Amino acid sequence: MNSELFKRWMCLGCGFLYDEALGSAEHGLAPGTRWADIPESWVCPDCGTPKHLFEMVEIPYAPGQPVSQQTA
Amino acid sequence: MENSFVLRALERGYDKLLSTGQTSSYVAGHPEATITRHSSFDFGPYQSGRNGFGRVRVFGDEVFRGLGCGYNMHPHHNFIICAFVLEGQLTTINTIGNIDQLGPGDYYAFSAGSGGKHCELNLRSEDANILYVWILPDQLLLPPSYARGRFDAAHTSNRLVTLVGDADGAVRVSQDVKISRLSADRGITCTYRPNSSAHGVYAFVIDGKVSINDVTFGRRDSLGVWGPAPLTVNIDTEDADVLFVETAP
Repeated sequence: MNSELFKRWMCLGCGFLYDEALGSAEHGLAPGTRWADIPESWVCPDCGTPKHLFEMVEIPYAPGQPVSQQTA
Repeated sequence: MENSFVLRALERGYDKLLSTGQTSSYVAGHPEATITRHSSFDFGPYQSGRNGFGRVRVFGDEVFRGLGCGYNMHPHHNFIICAFVLEGQLTTINTIGNIDQLGPGDYYAFSAGSGGKHCELNLRSEDANILYVWILPDQLLLPPSYARGRFDAAHTSNRLVTLVGDADGAVRVSQDVKISRLSADRGITCTYRPNSSAHGVYAFVIDGKVSINDVTFGRRDSLGVWGPAPLTVNIDTEDADVLFVETAP
């Protein structure tokens, strides 16, 4: 079991957020799916920016967030 | 982290987006419509420069050319997107409910937060020149928001005016970033003092010729500086216009 803390990654093309803890069921990524385990060919589901142009962010959530993975 | 850098106008990234072909669903307008984008930091296909400056990730100097040219409705999250209209007119429509028209001097801050879409259009035949500045927020998935402001050069010339940030009359954003503008119509010298020794200042010359810390900058040249030392900005007799983006690291 990977004990490393879950991380959050933001798309630098549009701001789409991928949180390892939450995954993204809408895009076939189960909760707990590590960024490293997502294929390099994966692109931002909102804007098509390639995976390598995401940035790991250590920004806290706003109060009450995340409500769900599909907050948009 | 480098302490300072100079970025000349022609050293910026350059991209041309057509309203036909591969970008046709992204770029609005008639077939002859084109967006040109000069990027101070890495964005889109331009990835050989700097990846941002402090909390700022995008600084795009864009021209929407041709009637109806712009970006079709498209989604964002999280980023605080600021647009400063320099020339022409920008119509912005967003899913917060705003339909807004902005002319030279007008600007907005659209915080996409938990999700919002917007559309950016030039509905006139003359070019629209807009500066886009994208800022990381201090919290993720904030409630989306939109606010606009106006820089009136005629009434605020020859002094530094804060447009975005924690100041009277400025548009507030959820981040430790301050954007100010200095428009001069005569020779002046002014000092820009960073908020703290940890802050950095990115100065972008919109127009004219400016000397900052004894280095001369022309139209669309820029300078990034980290540290507590004030910036000495010297403008000779000709008109000049400078945008300052101050950010936490």
